[in-house]
Amino acid sequence: MKILHIYRNEPNADCKKLVEVVAEGNDNDHVKLFEGTPDYNKVVDMIFAADKTISWW
Amino acid sequence: MSKKVCFIYQNEDYVLDGMRSALGLAVENMYAFAAVATEIAELDEHNKENLEWIRDMEGEVFSNVQANCDKNDMTPITLEELGKHIREMDIVVPYGTY
Amino acid sequence: MSKNLGIFVTNPDSMHHVMGITKAAKDKGSKVKVFFTWKGTLLSKDPQFPALCELADDVSICADSYKKMGYEVSDIPVGLTNDKMATQAQHGAIIEDYDYYLTL
Repeated sequence: MKILHIYRNEPNADCKKLVEVVAEGNDNDHVKLFEGTPDYNKVVDMIFAADKTISWW
Repeated sequence: MSKKVCFIYQNEDYVLDGMRSALGLAVENMYAFAAVATEIAELDEHNKENLEWIRDMEGEVFSNVQANCDKNDMTPITLEELGKHIREMDIVVPYGTY
Repeated sequence: MSKNLGIFVTNPDSMHHVMGITKAAKDKGSKVKVFFTWKGTLLSKDPQFPALCELADDVSICADSYKKMGYEVSDIPVGLTNDKMATQAQHGAIIEDYDYYLTL
């Protein structure tokens, strides 16, 4: 499954652990919204290309 | 087929309303789960009822914080187990913010 | 066929992301529904909120949350109508009716 992980803030230890478990065996992409100005056009393309998007805190 | 949704809370300010939001999906015939990953105060009667309603509607309220399990009768879960649980969900809702 | 996107907003610091994602999705011809709840309803007072209501296909807020944030439900935010002062059923509608889901 293709999973897009979006991070709204710098992930904490709990978040990193959950991502690690969820990501295992899947095809994962990662986007950081908290760094610089996001390329929203690209983010939407990635959402539409994924089977599931998880937008972490 | 009913969707499976899991809310996860990392900030006490968002837990009670987040449980209400989970219950809102349960009454829409979804399987609604909630996971409290921060210590919260003892629930009042209204919020205890919300927790029970989520369970009655085939959902569950988990916590990886032992104090929440002791005070609020939440079901213990480790982060590893929670990660495995949310792998099975159609929708994962990291609710609010840190 | 264009893809549609539902956005569930719970974070009061996310207006720039809500606007950015909505605009990008609309530019691709997508249908976009946005539902604000709990502290997310504070964003209904953001200066960009009326523009979001113009841009997205459907915007609603949780009336109960809005009240808990200290507002009168009769004080309908600019851009919304009374029927968009809604309930958590709107979140359910996003999950059931929209192909893609995002929490902000």
